[in-house]
Amino acid sequence: MAAALSGVLAYLGLGVLGLIGAPRTFSLLALLGGTVSFALWTPGFPEVLVGGLPWGVALAGDPWAVGLWALALVLHATLLIHARARRDAFHPLTTVLIGTCLAGSLSRDLFNLYVLMDLSSLLALVLIASGRRVRAVWAGLQYLVLTEVGLTLYLFGLGLVYARLGTLSVSALAGQGPNLSDPALAAGVGLLLAGTAVKTGVFLLGLWLPQAHGQAPTEVSVLLSGIVVKIGVVALARLSEAFPVGTVLLLLGIVTGFGGLLYALWERDLKVFLGFHTVSQLGYMLMGLGLGAGTGALLYVVAHGLFKGLLFLAAGEAVERVGRREITSLAGQLSLPVAVGLGVGACAIAGLPPLAGFAAKGLLAQGAPAWAKALFYALGLGTAASFSKLIPLFRPKEGGLVGGLPVLAAAVLGLGLGGTVLVSGLLNLRAWGEAFLIVAAGYGTYLGLRRIHPRLPRWGFDWAVVSLLVGAVGVAGLVTLGWL
Amino acid sequence: MEGLAAVALAIALAGLGFWNLIVRRNLIWKLLGLNVAASGAILFLVALAHRPGARPPIVGLGPGPSADPLPHALVLTAIVIDFATLALALVYVIFLTEHRHTQDVERLERDEERGWPQP
Amino acid sequence: MRVLAALSLLVLMGLLALGVSGVFPRPALPPMDEVAAEWGAKNVVAAIVLGVRLWDTLFEILVYAMTMVGVKLGLRLLRWEHAIPPIRETPLLRRSADLLLGPIVVFALYVAVSGHLGPGGGFPAGAILGTALLLLALAKGVERLSAEIHEPSLEWAEYGAIVAILAVAGGLLLVGRRGSGYLIAANVLIALEVGIGAWVVLHRFASSRGEV
Repeated sequence: MAAALSGVLAYLGLGVLGLIGAPRTFSLLALLGGTVSFALWTPGFPEVLVGGLPWGVALAGDPWAVGLWALALVLHATLLIHARARRDAFHPLTTVLIGTCLAGSLSRDLFNLYVLMDLSSLLALVLIASGRRVRAVWAGLQYLVLTEVGLTLYLFGLGLVYARLGTLSVSALAGQGPNLSDPALAAGVGLLLAGTAVKTGVFLLGLWLPQAHGQAPTEVSVLLSGIVVKIGVVALARLSEAFPVGTVLLLLGIVTGFGGLLYALWERDLKVFLGFHTVSQLGYMLMGLGLGAGTGALLYVVAHGLFKGLLFLAAGEAVERVGRREITSLAGQLSLPVAVGLGVGACAIAGLPPLAGFAAKGLLAQGAPAWAKALFYALGLGTAASFSKLIPLFRPKEGGLVGGLPVLAAAVLGLGLGGTVLVSGLLNLRAWGEAFLIVAAGYGTYLGLRRIHPRLPRWGFDWAVVSLLVGAVGVAGLVTLGWL
Repeated sequence: MEGLAAVALAIALAGLGFWNLIVRRNLIWKLLGLNVAASGAILFLVALAHRPGARPPIVGLGPGPSADPLPHALVLTAIVIDFATLALALVYVIFLTEHRHTQDVERLERDEERGWPQP
Repeated sequence: MRVLAALSLLVLMGLLALGVSGVFPRPALPPMDEVAAEWGAKNVVAAIVLGVRLWDTLFEILVYAMTMVGVKLGLRLLRWEHAIPPIRETPLLRRSADLLLGPIVVFALYVAVSGHLGPGGGFPAGAILGTALLLLALAKGVERLSAEIHEPSLEWAEYGAIVAILAVAGGLLLVGRRGSGYLIAANVLIALEVGIGAWVVLHRFASSRGEV
């Protein structure tokens, strides 16, 4: 416990010191300190109340914390290599943001999670807006306002739950065996779920996500999709541990998965397209949580952080070098390392063996009932179909800057190989054949859908707020009425 | 009883704030609406901490049961967070005003669709 | 859209009311006087904010500090096309600033130092300190004042205060020592951090704009 706490404190303190001077050195020191602390406290520690009874903040080094720490440290190392030239406050703010995420993965206290989610969105806004482009600032501002609406709802829910049960620690709440037929608890839990869903970027509640992730500078997109969104997933996992809300999460997961996919299929802007895919991949994680497959969801969180980080890194490099954002206008313009990075990421997200996506999808599908398996396959098929759009990009022009791409590519491959070997039942021909079949079918679907150009509704600022409120009220109302 | 009145006020503030956040076209009005709603959440927590006939949570300050101190402590954090959000958001509103000469959300959205032409 | 918004807000308010109607009976409170005594405080809230839930408060301080960094960075992006005319100085403001400055700073110190005994604490004290600096800036003019204050050392002090808080708090969390001396030190450090942060932002705003 002491090792983990001092690791987080080192991250925060060294990040702040970097604001005075020598930002890269302090960032590197923070990474080293974090790694040492991680090595000291794995494989985990039992729950402790920091600050003691009766109101202390509960922290635990459970599998979620281990997975997220590993993910955060790998991403931090990548960014340190990649963003060597970035000046101003990028490195210190990144260090503090990663420290916040490390603390969030340890936290098992509802209010602590609120503070950390809020700090991470404030830091993310500063980082998004550091690109100094009007569209980035505008996307970031919408992001902040929507998240803040969600977190206000979260605070209301927290008040109700605390007033009823008198505790904020996840384990203590679960220990009281909360019953959602109690109206105070039901309304409170519904609002907590809705608020966290907004912060996570669940479809129809968190419509800020694709634009904010798409318009941010390259390294910031990596950070946002790789780890900041995952804080919300961790919070949802904690909520599902404390309260019986599996069905709600399952429903949210299905809506998110297919909603994000629908928009991604026809999106032309490369980075916004990846942002919509972050939404659709959240569907897998939420469905995993809803089905009670915690390990599968966790593996998916880590795998998604790695391969989406790789995709955003490569896509950002391409967009910055060429100066155009549309997928069609980027064809044939990419350098070799960028094209390879993009290719590895695309294969991983489509679930081709033996990359990280394959192992994670395999583990998720193993415990699932038949209908859920069908949903997973449909999502995978859609993902493959929408990523088929990128095929013209894989004709590289010449060599170019490599940066941090190999770190993430190696991590994707390593996690994939490790997962494929360790998860039982993935080393057989049938699983591999299925994966290739889904991708092939996805490509066929892409060829069929290419001629269709539907006009999907675009969501302005006001509509995003209204849809957020309607979604939140819907979730809370369903929980209160006891239909789920 | 006074606790329940405060709770009702908090709920009303949330409704009022969110309503302004949605219907106003000016960004600053929207942010103020959001802040009012967030104040509603803060008041909600404090009002729920109240017990009938309770004293402030300071040792030795009169007889009777004390109000629940934990929500008071949480609210301190929440106030700082609301303040921080408002400050940061307003800075970026100034940025948008400088670059686009407008704080009107509908005009900003129209500009966004047209790819941000020079104002 | 307005209909949908109104409907969803009404349902939201109804849900909250329904929830509040269901919070009774309330759970019993833990023995808070003992917690306060353990931390050497009379104000239970101070014992919670600086002691029991210190882990939250650390991030709260970071929220404030990072916002100040963000505001500074954001203000640096601006070009300020329309200059506003400066306000003419009045003797009234200068005299009252002379008179009020001392009492305000003393009051800020008092609020910080006595925060563990009654209402008060580091954050309000820092805000009061910021007000004193604002008054000074209004009376003397920002340029003259910032010429007297060495800007980089002020930033050092601001970030140094955060790192000091993190170090003290970390040591405290890991070692587990408690007492009123620590509470006073933490409150004073927080007041320093908040006051300096307020001043740095005020100064940056004024110097990019030309006047307060």
